[in-house]
Amino acid sequence: MTKQNAIISLSCSLIALICISCSAPNHVSVSGSTTVLPTVSKAAESFKMETGQTIIVNAGGSGAGFNQLGEGQTDIGMMSRDITQDELDRFPNLNFKIIPIGTDAVVPVVSSEIYAAGIRTLSFKDLDAIYSGTVDNWSAFGGPDKAILVIDKEASSGTRHTFMEIVMGDKNALAPGADLVLGANNEEQTALAQSDSAIGMLSHAWMNADVIGLSIKQNGVLIDPTLENIRSGVFPITRDLNLIIRSDIRPEAQAFIDYMLSAEGQKHVANSGYVEKRP
Amino acid sequence: MHLSHPKTPTAHASHLEFHKLRTLPSRSFIYSYATLSALTATLLVVLILGLLAYQSGSAIFEANDSLLGSVWSPAKNQYGILPMLYGSLIVMVLAMGLALPIGILTALYISETRSETVRRLSKTMLEILAGIPSIVYGLIGVAFLSLWVADIFYLQTGRVILTASLLLAIMILPTIITLTEDAFSNVATPYRENAYALGLYRFEVIKEVILPQAKGDVIGAAFLALGRALGETMAVMLVIGSLDRIPTPAYNILSSAQTITSKLGREIAESAFGSTHFNVLVLMSLILVVITLSLTGLAHILFKSAGSND
Repeated sequence: MTKQNAIISLSCSLIALICISCSAPNHVSVSGSTTVLPTVSKAAESFKMETGQTIIVNAGGSGAGFNQLGEGQTDIGMMSRDITQDELDRFPNLNFKIIPIGTDAVVPVVSSEIYAAGIRTLSFKDLDAIYSGTVDNWSAFGGPDKAILVIDKEASSGTRHTFMEIVMGDKNALAPGADLVLGANNEEQTALAQSDSAIGMLSHAWMNADVIGLSIKQNGVLIDPTLENIRSGVFPITRDLNLIIRSDIRPEAQAFIDYMLSAEGQKHVANSGYVEKRP
Repeated sequence: MHLSHPKTPTAHASHLEFHKLRTLPSRSFIYSYATLSALTATLLVVLILGLLAYQSGSAIFEANDSLLGSVWSPAKNQYGILPMLYGSLIVMVLAMGLALPIGILTALYISETRSETVRRLSKTMLEILAGIPSIVYGLIGVAFLSLWVADIFYLQTGRVILTASLLLAIMILPTIITLTEDAFSNVATPYRENAYALGLYRFEVIKEVILPQAKGDVIGAAFLALGRALGETMAVMLVIGSLDRIPTPAYNILSSAQTITSKLGREIAESAFGSTHFNVLVLMSLILVVITLSLTGLAHILFKSAGSND
């Protein structure tokens, strides 16, 4: 190939590249909470099969999802908590709408070794003591003589807001007892599975054989983190999984919201291990 | 092919035009183009620094009383940056302390005792190593390194300062080795030959001739690596534990911490533009940029002075 040809073909491919990126179809983008994400991305796949509309789903956390929506970088935000007043104040000229698509529980979870050693339940008082650092050994709860690896989550996490609000009475409560601070659900899941003495807070759908949810002891009664108890509202730490939109939403994005709320879309909520909003 | 013979009489008219085009830019045009490029580059640096300073200026007023503390809680208006500053510095110092001696000795070994073939091969491998994206190092750190550290030191978690430093040391090692090896190889052969002719042993040649000659370049290489160590985000963020706390005692490198970059990586998307939270994050990045820039400047001066020695 001569130099001239090389230059021509290079510029051609450059132009082609630019064209591709410009003519990308007007896809709908969704981003935010990693708790809401599995449901939405499953629904997005089947939505694309049915309508051909591409939905791009990104993680980032509840706080990031809301910010991106407010700044116009995404069409739909995913949040596993309510919008705080502080967040609303950032965008005084915009109208946001919260659309709950399912219900989830935040469950105190422990490494499988701790569960096997006999720790099956904790009360709010116990959890408070662990996270504020006054108790740092499993033996205090009848477990093995092992230091507790306390895993906290990033401050704007929806899971943390819900857990801290209900357990410690303040959604922004500090956790001086924390040994690790992690972000996404899967990051926390990994850390819990890697450890043999950890406790963390996790969405109900993310528990597995290595990461086991505890019952909550309230007034002498044990409440298991089961779907039935979440559905009936008996399990004390629950929250709505929300999609957040702005009043100036594009019709393509609204179509996806409608799909999420339809019987078809709600199937994906149930399949992900959450409780449907509209059975 | 025809381009290499533009003056053949059979040359096509269009080729002649092309040839003309190629010679068209005058000296003054090229000069002003180059000046403009240089100015743009300089302007970008000034602009970035200016923007960072502008954004972070208000942070100093809004968060002044908590800024030099160690409590970080934006929801409660507490913006203590000391834990992050401490984390960044200790991770950098440890990583450099681990990587620098190993890197320099490896470079000496490759350049002074091995054949040209081995030298070429190892340099190629090292350059590949330097090009691996940092997220890959981070995943290896989470999946293996942190577990090994936890096992060896009987820790509850391996996401600690030591793990981050080890990982960073591995990441900056290729940079240190290739650059210092270049520095040693660039020492002119007559110096070596003269030294050997005087009857010096290899160790003495290295100690008395090679090292002093290459000193400036080695220090320059070290500063470049240091800049990378300070700026690395992804890999450190995954293995440091992200705990906004200065360990007790402060030299306890087997506890979790937070660096400026890992803090930025985790929180910048969640802070609203223009809020105090955002501004304090910008202030931290300004501190980081200032440290990195001054170190790069220092490295530049050392490179330059070493060049004029030859």
